Amino acid sequence: MSLNEAPKFVRADGPDKVTGSGRYTADMNMTGQLVAKFRYADVAHARVTKIDVSAAKATPGVLAVLTAADVPDLRYSPVVPDRTLFVKDVVRFEGEIVAAVAAVNAATAQAAVDSIVFEYDGLPVVTDLEAALADGSPIVHEGWESYGVSGDTVQRPNVASFSSIEKGDIRAGLAAADHVITSRYVADASHALPIEPRAVLAQWEGNKVTIWTSTQVPFDARNGVCETLQMPSSRVRIIVPHLGGGFGGKCGFHFEAHIAALARASKRPVKLVFSRREEFLAPDRRREGMIVDITTGVTNDGTITAREGWIAIDNGAYTADAAFFPQLAAMHVAGPYVSPNVFVESSLVYTNHQPSGSVRAPTAPQACWALESHTDEIARTIGMDPVDFRRKNTVDEGLEGPAAQVYGEIGLRRCLETAVANSAYGSQLPENEAVGVAVGWWPSFPGPSGAYIKVDADGSGQIITGAQECGTGSVMTLRYLAAEELGMEPEDFELVYQDTSAAPYDTGATGSQTLLNNGRAVIEGAREVAAQLRDVAADQLEAAAGDIVLADGFAHVSGSPDRNVSIVELAGIAAEGEMLIGKGSGTPPDYPTVSATCVGDQGVAGWAGPQFSCHAVRVRLDRDTGVVRVLEISAAHDSGTIINPIAAHGQVEGGITMGIGQALSEGTVYGDDAKQRNAGLLEYKLQTAADAPLVTTEFIEIPDPNAGPRGAKGLAEAPNVPTAAAIANAVAQLIGEPVRQLPMTPERVWAVSEGSSS
Amino acid sequence: MSESATPQNFDLEVNGISYPISADQGKNLLSVIREDVGLTGTKEGCDDCECGACMVLLDGQPVNSCSYLAVQAQGRTVTTIEGVMQGEEMHALQRNLLDEGGVQCGFCTPGMIMSAHALLDRNSNPTPEDVKIGLSGNLCRCTGYAKILAAVEKTAAE
Amino acid sequence: MSFTIAATVEEAVEAMANGARPIAGGTDLVVGARHGKSALPDDLVAIDRLAELAEIGPGPGGHRVGALVTHAQLMIDPFIVENYTALADAAALVGSPSTRNVGTLGGNVMNASPAMDTGAPLLVFGATARVAGPGGERTVPLDELWTGPGTTSAAANELLIALNLPMPSDRCGSAYVRLEYRRAMEIAVVGAAAGVTLAEDGTVASASVALSAVAPTIVAVAGTDALNGLALADAAATAAELASDQASPISDLRASDSYRRHCVGVMAKRAVDAACRRAAGESISVPVNRALGIGAA
Repeated sequence: MSLNEAPKFVRADGPDKVTGSGRYTADMNMTGQLVAKFRYADVAHARVTKIDVSAAKATPGVLAVLTAADVPDLRYSPVVPDRTLFVKDVVRFEGEIVAAVAAVNAATAQAAVDSIVFEYDGLPVVTDLEAALADGSPIVHEGWESYGVSGDTVQRPNVASFSSIEKGDIRAGLAAADHVITSRYVADASHALPIEPRAVLAQWEGNKVTIWTSTQVPFDARNGVCETLQMPSSRVRIIVPHLGGGFGGKCGFHFEAHIAALARASKRPVKLVFSRREEFLAPDRRREGMIVDITTGVTNDGTITAREGWIAIDNGAYTADAAFFPQLAAMHVAGPYVSPNVFVESSLVYTNHQPSGSVRAPTAPQACWALESHTDEIARTIGMDPVDFRRKNTVDEGLEGPAAQVYGEIGLRRCLETAVANSAYGSQLPENEAVGVAVGWWPSFPGPSGAYIKVDADGSGQIITGAQECGTGSVMTLRYLAAEELGMEPEDFELVYQDTSAAPYDTGATGSQTLLNNGRAVIEGAREVAAQLRDVAADQLEAAAGDIVLADGFAHVSGSPDRNVSIVELAGIAAEGEMLIGKGSGTPPDYPTVSATCVGDQGVAGWAGPQFSCHAVRVRLDRDTGVVRVLEISAAHDSGTIINPIAAHGQVEGGITMGIGQALSEGTVYGDDAKQRNAGLLEYKLQTAADAPLVTTEFIEIPDPNAGPRGAKGLAEAPNVPTAAAIANAVAQLIGEPVRQLPMTPERVWAVSEGSSS
Repeated sequence: MSESATPQNFDLEVNGISYPISADQGKNLLSVIREDVGLTGTKEGCDDCECGACMVLLDGQPVNSCSYLAVQAQGRTVTTIEGVMQGEEMHALQRNLLDEGGVQCGFCTPGMIMSAHALLDRNSNPTPEDVKIGLSGNLCRCTGYAKILAAVEKTAAE
Repeated sequence: MSFTIAATVEEAVEAMANGARPIAGGTDLVVGARHGKSALPDDLVAIDRLAELAEIGPGPGGHRVGALVTHAQLMIDPFIVENYTALADAAALVGSPSTRNVGTLGGNVMNASPAMDTGAPLLVFGATARVAGPGGERTVPLDELWTGPGTTSAAANELLIALNLPMPSDRCGSAYVRLEYRRAMEIAVVGAAAGVTLAEDGTVASASVALSAVAPTIVAVAGTDALNGLALADAAATAAELASDQASPISDLRASDSYRRHCVGVMAKRAVDAACRRAAGESISVPVNRALGIGAA
C-alpha cells in the first residue's frame, strides 16, 4: 500500500504536542519541590580514599545529601549484577555518582555538590579492548567471580559475557574455499541522543512513592526502585508524562531510586533535570564500540563455504542490559547468509568507559557495517557484482541461517530487488557519486503484555495499557485495533497509559515490541468487551449472541442490518448491570529453537518474526576533503504486515537518518584518561534538516504467522541496521577500498583515499 | 553569588500579554518563560544554541531563548508555541504536521514550528532547499525530517 | 550587579568606563558563561537598541557596516552581496537562522575566535575597526585588533561601533569557502576567503587571501603577489600552496593538523576560483559552499 492510499492515522497525542500543552517530565512541578544535583566521580578508574559530605549537609537550603552509606548495600542489574547506586570503594567510569544532593534551588544544590570532598587514588584505566583481554591487564571488576550471574552466562577476566555460535566444521569449510577473505573493522561508541534530556520527579505520601520519569520502560524503572530500595512494587508507582524520545537511551533503570531516596530523606518532592552534558556522560545506555574480525571462505562461483568471526564489544564499566550483546552481535556478523560452516566468538569487554546498553538495534548497525563492507570486499575479490553475490547467498524460505534456524516465507531477497530497483544502482553516475547496497536483519521480541478495555455508559471507552509511547506512534495505533474489534471509531477511545499502578505489565518501548505484544493484548481485551456487547445486544434484539455483528457503531443481527441497536445504547444498558470491562494479554509467539552450538546462550540465536531490510544509498564524495553527502536512499523492509503506514514510514526515515549520523558524523571520542571529549552537540554532530536526503521506502508485506497482530513484526529498530553499511559500500566504490573505522569521518575517508591513491 | 543579587524588574510581553517579571539579570529568556511566565511548551534540549528546542520569536524573528537574556527582551514582543493557535483553530503548520506525520516524540516540535513560522513569515514561497535551511537549527532525532519538511512545504503551498 | 540599556553610543561608552561589558545578541556571553568559560559579567550594558550601529551605508573611503548588523542582514543585503560577496558568503554559513538573526558582525569580530567565519573576508577587504572610547573614536586595522584566540587589542572600555570597508575596484570578486562536515550548524574546521581583481586579459591583477581556524587568529596569506598575471587555474593552485605552507594549524577534536593543512589549501583554491569567476561576471549565489556543491545535494 502506498502512503498516499493509506488511511490517515492522526496521533491521539498530536494536539498536545503541536500546541505546547503536552507535559513532559521536566514540565512538571510540585509545591515544595527541591532540586537534585549529583556529584560525579569525574575520574574513570580510582580507589576511593575519602568522601566527606559534611560541608554539603551544613549548607543552608540543603535538605538531603546521600551517598552509598545511605542506601541498601547491594549490587543490581539484570543477568550481571555489577552495579551500585552510588560509588562505594572503586570508581569505574567518569559518570558514576558519588553523592546526591537535594536543595531549595539549583545554585544551592550546585554549591553543596561542589563542597563535597572526594579523594581517591587513581588506577590505570582500561580503554583498549584487545589490551583488556590480554594477560596482565588491569581488571575493571576485581571479585567479578562472586557477582552471581544468571542463566548460561559465561564470564572471563574483563569479560562480562561471552557467547559463541558454532555450526559445521569451520576448518574444513575454509579449506574447501577457493578464496579466504579476512577483514577487520572498528566502530566507535555513539549515543542514543533523544532531544529531551531525562528528568525525574519523586514524591512520597506515607510509605508510598510516586515517580514521574522520562523512562521508556516504566515497569523496569519500578522494578529497579523496588530492588535497590528494597520496597514492594505495590508501594512504587511510576508515571511517565509525554516522553521526548528514547532510542534505547532511556531504557533500563536510571536515577529513579536516587531521586526517590532524596525525596524520602528530605520529606519533600525532589526533581532532577539533566543538562545535555550529563545526558552524554552519566546514563548506562550508549551504543557500544566494537572490533570485528571476519573471515569468509568462498568458491570461485561465489558460494560461501565458511564464515568465522571474532568480536570484542566495549561493555564499558558496568553491564546494564548488555549481557545478550555478544550473541546478538555474533548473529549479525554471521549475518543473513547461508553458510554450512560458522564459528563466531564474541566477548563483552569491561573497560573504564561509560556503560553500554540497548540503543536502537544494539550491536546491529556496527556489526552489519562490518559484515556488509566485508561482503563487498568478497565480491570485489572474486569479481562478482555485490548485488549478485547477495542474490546468491542470502537466506530465504526453507534455507538455514547461521544458527541453523530454518526460515518460513521471508522477504529478504524481495527487499534486495526492490531497494536496488528503486535506486540508481547500475546506472551511469558522475565520477564522484556511487550507490552502495547493504542488507540487514533484526529479530522481533515476543513477550508478556497486558491491557484493560472498558466502555462507559455513554459509549466512549478507555484503553488502559502498560505500553509506553516513546514517539513511534505504536501506542497511538492501539486505538485502531480496539475500535476495529468493537465496530467503533478510534476517536471513541481515550488512551490511559504510562502508569504502572493503573495498567498491567508491558516490557515498555524497547525491542520494537509494543504493537507486536500489546497489540495482541488490546485485541484480546477488546474481544472480551465485544462478547459482552454481543450478549447485551442478543437480549435486546432477541437473537443468538453468536449472530450479532458489531460494525459502524451498531450491533446488528447477521444478515439483517435493520435489526440493530447502537453501541451507545448497549453501553448504557450494560452500565446498569455487568458493565463492559475487558482484559487481555494473550500468549506470546514462540521463540524458535536452533540446533547450532551456542555457548553463553542468551536466547537471541533463534528469532521469532525475523525482519529483513535492504538499503541502497547514493552518495557524493568531495574527493579533495573526504566529505561524504548522502543524496538518496532507497529502502525496502520486511517487517511483516504494516498496520499504521504513516508511522511505519516515519520509523524508516528516522532510523535511516540516525544511521547516516552513525556512518558519517556520530562517534564518541575518548581521551587517554577514558573520559569523553565530545560530550556536547557542537562536537557530537547529529544530522540536520539541511542534510536530509531523499528517502524512498517500500514495505514487503509478508504476514508472519508467528508474530504480532495480522502478522505484523517489529519495526522501529530495523531501519537503523543497514544504512551505515550501505553508505560504506558506496564510499568504498569511490575510493577503491573500505574505510575500516566508524564513523567514516571526512578525515578518515580522506586518509584512506590518500593511502590508496599514492 | 547570583542568588543574592538584586533582581531586575521589568515587563515582558509574551503572546500579547504583558507579564511583570522580577528575575536575576543572568536568567535566560527560556527559564523566565518556563518558570516566571509559566508556559512550558518551549523546551530545553541543550542549553547551548545547538538543538533549537527552545526557539521562540522575538519581534517575529527566531531566537534560541536558552542563550538570550530575559532582561534584553523587555520592550519587545515574544511569541511562544502557546501563541501560535489562532483562537480555537490550529495554525496550518500545526495541522499539517499532524496530518503529514511530522510529529513523533514531539519534544522538538514547538521549536520546529517557531522556526517554520519565522521562515514562512519572511518567505511565503520557499523552495525545498529554503525549508531545509530554515529548519536547520532545529534537531529532530525521531523523524529524519522528511515529514516535517513535507508539512512545511504543504503549508507554504496552501 | 547592573543592567542598563544604552540609548546612545555615549551612554554605552560611559557604562563601559564604569566597568560594564557590552552585550548585543549575547549568544557568546550567555553560552560561554554556562559552559564555565567565563562567568557572566556582573555589569552589563545592552547595546542592541543603538539603531545607528545597525546600518550599512557609505563610510569614509568606502563603506561602513555597523557593529550591530546581523549575519542575517549581511547575507541578503544587496549592496554587500554585490560588492563584498565573501562577507555575505560567510554570514550565510554562520550557525542557524536564529543565530544568524541574533549574532552581530561586531560580536563576531570582538569575540575574536580564530574560527569565526566573517573574519577572513574582512581581512581580505582590508577592513578596519572603528572603536569608541572615553577619549573619542579611533580606527584599528584588524590584524592589529586580533591578538590571539578570544583576545583583542581594544581596551575594556572601548566599544566597536563599525567596520569600514574600502571601496571595491572594478573587475573584482570575492568568495569565502569553508570546510564543513554537515550542511548547517557548523563551525569552520578551516576556511578561506579570497578577494581578486582581474586584469583586462582575465588574469589576476591583484589578490588577497585570508584563512580561518589555522592559526591563533584569522591570518592573511603573505606573498599573494605570486598570483598576479596568472590565469584562474594557476592562481587557484598557487593560492592553495601558499595557504597550506603558511598555515600553523593545531590538532583537536575537529581535525588533525595535517588534515587542516591540506584542507585549508583546498579551501583557498576554491575561494580564489570562485572569486575569479565572480570577478569575471559569473553569477555564483551566496553562499558559495551551497552554490558550488561543497555539501549541496
